[in-house]
Amino acid sequence: MKGILKKLNIKEVNAGACSGQGAWYEDPEGKELVSYDPSSGEPIAKVIQATDKTYEQVIKQAVHAFKTWRMTPAPKRGQVVRDLGQALREYKEPLGELVTLEMGKIRAEGVGEVQEMIDICDFAVGLSRQLYGLAMHSERPAHRMFEQWHPLGAIGVISAFNFPVAVWSWNAAIAAACGDTTVWKPSSDTPLTAIAVQHICNAVMADHGLQGIFNLAIGRGAVVGERMINDERLPLISFTGSTQMGRRVSEAVARRFGRTILELGGNNAIIVAGDADLEMAVRTILFGAVGTAGQRCTSTRRIIVHKSVAKELTDRIIKAYEQVKIGNPMEEGTLMGPLVTQAAVEDMMAALETAREQGGEVICGGHRLEDLGEQFVEPTIVKMPSQTKIVHNETFAPILYLMEYEDVEEAIRLHNEVPQGLSSAIFTTNLLTAEKFLSHEGSDCGIANVNIGTSGAEIGGAFGGEKETGGGRESGSDAWKGYMRRQTNTINWSKELPLAQGIKFGD
Amino acid sequence: MGIDISLDTSIEELVERYPQAVSFLSRRGVRCIRCGEPLWCTLGELLREDGIENPHDLIKELVEYIRKRGEQAEGSK
Repeated sequence: MKGILKKLNIKEVNAGACSGQGAWYEDPEGKELVSYDPSSGEPIAKVIQATDKTYEQVIKQAVHAFKTWRMTPAPKRGQVVRDLGQALREYKEPLGELVTLEMGKIRAEGVGEVQEMIDICDFAVGLSRQLYGLAMHSERPAHRMFEQWHPLGAIGVISAFNFPVAVWSWNAAIAAACGDTTVWKPSSDTPLTAIAVQHICNAVMADHGLQGIFNLAIGRGAVVGERMINDERLPLISFTGSTQMGRRVSEAVARRFGRTILELGGNNAIIVAGDADLEMAVRTILFGAVGTAGQRCTSTRRIIVHKSVAKELTDRIIKAYEQVKIGNPMEEGTLMGPLVTQAAVEDMMAALETAREQGGEVICGGHRLEDLGEQFVEPTIVKMPSQTKIVHNETFAPILYLMEYEDVEEAIRLHNEVPQGLSSAIFTTNLLTAEKFLSHEGSDCGIANVNIGTSGAEIGGAFGGEKETGGGRESGSDAWKGYMRRQTNTINWSKELPLAQGIKFGD
Repeated sequence: MGIDISLDTSIEELVERYPQAVSFLSRRGVRCIRCGEPLWCTLGELLREDGIENPHDLIKELVEYIRKRGEQAEGSK
């Protein structure tokens, strides 16, 4: 552990607010935050959280830096992001391991998360030469009409524990290419990965003579989070978290006419049709439901299976679950680590109790694994008689609900019945069924897949969902537009002043 | 050591100090943890939002529950 921390510049006690190299801010009034290893329960290191004073220092730097950053040509901004991607390549292993150490996902997923950061940097570098606006034909003679995309400002990024570094990079790399600066409030469960990333950013910024492009303010949601969402100097808040918190963020930011990108809860289902390749479906379900211990926004939480194959699929999934090696996420061969906190374990156990009360039958798992540590649990499958209230809730844990259907219309109805709308999938070999699922009357999610699962999205697509998932889009495709302001321009190069719609006024 | 919980206790602090509160409150229809993260509000705000009519009584029960769980954990050691 000490080797990882040393490589990443993590000290026993770390300042929690920063704007660049030599600009770590620490207030003696700042409260200590201890980061724990969820596998052992042992403390890893401490952070002095941002106070009103240090938060203010960070914001001022971010706003100040924006004024020059926005005037830096976008391809030059791309060079800084390119160097950030290169630096992340150098730190890929230790940073990935710190992700594992601090939040408990297995090492392969931790390192994979850093690869995702590298990928989005590469994407943003290309994007820095492609911030295109449209040119429109004007209805007025000798007029030219077009649109430009301008940088927006200092952007607030509030991220969650489950992807402690990748989600920041989806926002920060794109925002930087777009000419924005960012202020990051990471989850209080994963402050050290944020400090490690800030050190990497600081070195890259210093190489370019920059400060304040990437900024950090670690603190409780009720303190730093509330400051950010009510701060008029942050024209956009990108928030990843629960629907309940998203509603609070959305209301606060809307009150000041700010913008939000909300990536909120998911309740992701896979429909397994009677003609599906069950071997592929089982492997996918295992990864989707057990990967990251069921703590991804896109984790598979519901299986809606055709009754003709329900028994066979269930038997195969149970068999696969029984093979899952649970334990130290750093060890080779482990497929599932601990849950992030003891509170998360309590939440899972409460959900299982409710599911039983609502007629659910736990057919696999369902227990704590205290021999391994206080935060280890069994991945669990619950057969539900119908889609009851508990199934409509997202429980951030490895609980998989199984339900049966008779025809595809019923499957889609069940699929869309929940309030969330992030990710979805169908396993079928029937082209017509697949197309129906992707059609206007099919899945109502932001992500809909055929013969691949609900989780493991690539950075090239826009990531986000509908309904209570919040409607925001991050990462690839044209999600960059959310980080810029659109300006429509018309230039008259004639000696006349014709009005639009042919209006005559005082001629 | 006394268990110090009031309407003003933040949910972030509550679930960190007393994670067992999560399952107790969840059974009363009050969910402190969403997407694996504690809500930012106070316990009082959350209880009000979830329509709990006698929040002080609920807090008394919660404190008692935490005390019993603590005793059980001590006993099993």
